[in-house]
Amino acid sequence: MNDMRIEKRAIQMDDVKFRASDVQVYYGNNHAIKDVNVEIRDKTVTAFIGPSGCGKSTFLRCLNRMNDTIDICRITGEILLDEEDIYHPKVDPVQLRAKVGMVFQKPNPFPKSIYDNVAYGPRIHGLAKNKAALDEIVEKSLRRGAIWDEVKDRLDEPGTSLSGGQQQRLCIARAIATSPEVLLMDEPCSALDPIATAQVEELIDELKQNYSVVIVTHSMQQAARVSQKTAFFHLGNLVEFGETGQIFTNPTDPRTESYITGRIG
Amino acid sequence: MTTTLFFLVLLLGLTGFALSWQKAGLIAGDNPSGLHSRPTYHGLYSFLCIVLSGWAILILLTIIGSAYINTTLLRDIRSALPDAPLIEHQLVLSDAKAIAQSRIASRTDELRQVIATDFGKFSTARFWITIVLTLGVALGVGYRCLTQITLDWRARNRSEKIIRLILVAMAAIAVLTTLGIILSLIFETFGFFQKIGWRLDKFLFGTNWSPLSGVHSGEMDPDRVGAIPLFAGTFLITLIAMLVAVPIGLFAAIYLSDFAGPKTRSVVKPMLEVLAGIPTVVYGFFAAITVAPFFRTTGEAFGIQIASESALAAGVVMGIMIIPFISSLSDDVINAVPQSLRDGSYGLGATKAETIRQVVLPAALPGIVSAVLLGVSRAVGETMIVVMAAGQGANLTANPLEAVTTVTVQIVMLITGDTEASTAAGPAFSLGFTLFCLTLLMNIIAQRIVRRYRELYD
Ligand SMILES: Nc1ncnc2c1ncn2[C@@H]1O[C@H](COP(=O)(O)OP(=O)(O)OP(=O)(O)O)[C@@H](O)[C@H]1O
Ligand SMILES: [Mg+2]
Repeated sequence: MNDMRIEKRAIQMDDVKFRASDVQVYYGNNHAIKDVNVEIRDKTVTAFIGPSGCGKSTFLRCLNRMNDTIDICRITGEILLDEEDIYHPKVDPVQLRAKVGMVFQKPNPFPKSIYDNVAYGPRIHGLAKNKAALDEIVEKSLRRGAIWDEVKDRLDEPGTSLSGGQQQRLCIARAIATSPEVLLMDEPCSALDPIATAQVEELIDELKQNYSVVIVTHSMQQAARVSQKTAFFHLGNLVEFGETGQIFTNPTDPRTESYITGRIG
Repeated sequence: MTTTLFFLVLLLGLTGFALSWQKAGLIAGDNPSGLHSRPTYHGLYSFLCIVLSGWAILILLTIIGSAYINTTLLRDIRSALPDAPLIEHQLVLSDAKAIAQSRIASRTDELRQVIATDFGKFSTARFWITIVLTLGVALGVGYRCLTQITLDWRARNRSEKIIRLILVAMAAIAVLTTLGIILSLIFETFGFFQKIGWRLDKFLFGTNWSPLSGVHSGEMDPDRVGAIPLFAGTFLITLIAMLVAVPIGLFAAIYLSDFAGPKTRSVVKPMLEVLAGIPTVVYGFFAAITVAPFFRTTGEAFGIQIASESALAAGVVMGIMIIPFISSLSDDVINAVPQSLRDGSYGLGATKAETIRQVVLPAALPGIVSAVLLGVSRAVGETMIVVMAAGQGANLTANPLEAVTTVTVQIVMLITGDTEASTAAGPAFSLGFTLFCLTLLMNIIAQRIVRRYRELYD
């Protein structure tokens, strides 16, 4: 099919996964993202930090075209995935989203069984040839989502019957079950206890071996622990983007410094 | 006179409100927070006490007064005319009342004149007694309320208690009327079953329905009260209606909630709801005058015999009537499926169709099922359309092209027919009761399902 513009490429230039230039996002008249230029590298964890309402989620949702589902949302500029424009008319957002998975800010398990929640993606993309293969994908994903031990005896129970933190880990498992190339995580740990948080961070670390991970977080410690690159957003602007170590120890912009030291936000 | 007193009491109540309010304010002086209840509550309490006690006395006196006058006068008439029947006594009394109020009476003999004078005296007495007692009680209660006001007087708690009692009484009226209707249904149904010698099996499973043919002296023939053809007809028409309404309604709902833009939605949804506002009698003659002949001529063109009154015509029109129910309710439940679930599905690379079929519809399914069940109970109880378009003969058939009859049609025919009401009411009530049980059962199931659905998301 010639509309599959986004193909896996053997050679990747400079290992850049996403290249965004001059991205503007408007919700009606609300200019939510202003002039954002950023490069997100493959096999790297990139953290988005910034005060509430600064546009982190909005920008994250641009990366897999989730904003298409919001009528009033308008996006200009260019976002390239593997050097292909994801907003090109020939790109099918459905195929894009199969490659760029997403974990949402609020856990949103489907009102189906735990098993069916995880099997949903593999089923619609035909990733498993038979039941055994599907079982294996489900188990592997639940293990990597750090929730297998808690649910292995109750895979038939509805996903909605789990606790909030368990639901979030189920959603993470569901997202990695389709083996995306990029995983976008919007505050994945905001409902988790420290143990589950540590497990998810471990998972992120592991995913980084093969994938690119973008994580939005309000926890400076978490950003410092898991990410190699950090982007600081403020009022819709990308204020500073660089090595995590440098952002946290030696920020160039005074706004970044104020935010990190807790003076704005 | 009663009406005037009614408003006088109301006026007194309002005065009581104003005075109490003022007095409470005076007592509080510069320190309003010293009052236990705010002045408005003192006013409210006085108002409620005055009005309720005044009205209660007024109603009581009116009822007791007329009952007393009537029995006394009737006793006098009876002693004057000991041999005449009761109906004669009553005639005399009403004539006497007419004379007393200088209206035209059927006869004016001496007895009537005497009774009329008595009635006049009684009425005058009652007039003054009612006025004095009612106003006296209202004023007395008002005075007492006024003197009761102190800093600590708990007017708020007391008036809230009275208001709660009023609310309870209103709720009780609603519940009791329903209970009364159900009880009278049950009562009449029992009477009918007695008439057919408790052959319930004949009623529920018999296939011959002509309850009034050959009825003598109120006895019913158990062999002629088989309700199966009626329930079969109801079932057939309901089935056709649902075959029309469910797909159209459901797809319309899916379109409205997930595909239509806000503009289309704001136009289409109210239009669908207009469809729900059309009186069923309009649907009825639409079915009988437009749809049924259309089906018949179309059938003829294809060489198919379609009766001029057919289950098909009635069912299709009934289906159209039910579409807005199903689409509107389903649209609500589909909309209630949180956007985050759709996002979750899209985020995994699902298409819109996959998302709707595999996430949205399963999540909304209980609500949709209950919408369908509500639609079914509408169809089962629907009367006008079938009266005009379905036919009256109780023939047992599964062929939608023939005329069938329904439970509701037969009830209409029994009640509006020439047969004496006391005879016709029996079978009609039993059919009504059976129908009521069926729809009640369906509504209960629908509500159960809806409740389960709510628990899932709250
Ligand atoms: N669906 C929407 N419709 C209209 N405006 C929106 C929508 N979503 C976000 N916005 C607006 O866009 C701006 C950025 O919101 P966004 O959700 O991206 O913030 P955020 O950085 O993720 O905040 P938080 O840390 O609280 O999640 C806000 O001003 C918000 O009001
Ligand atoms: Mg956010």
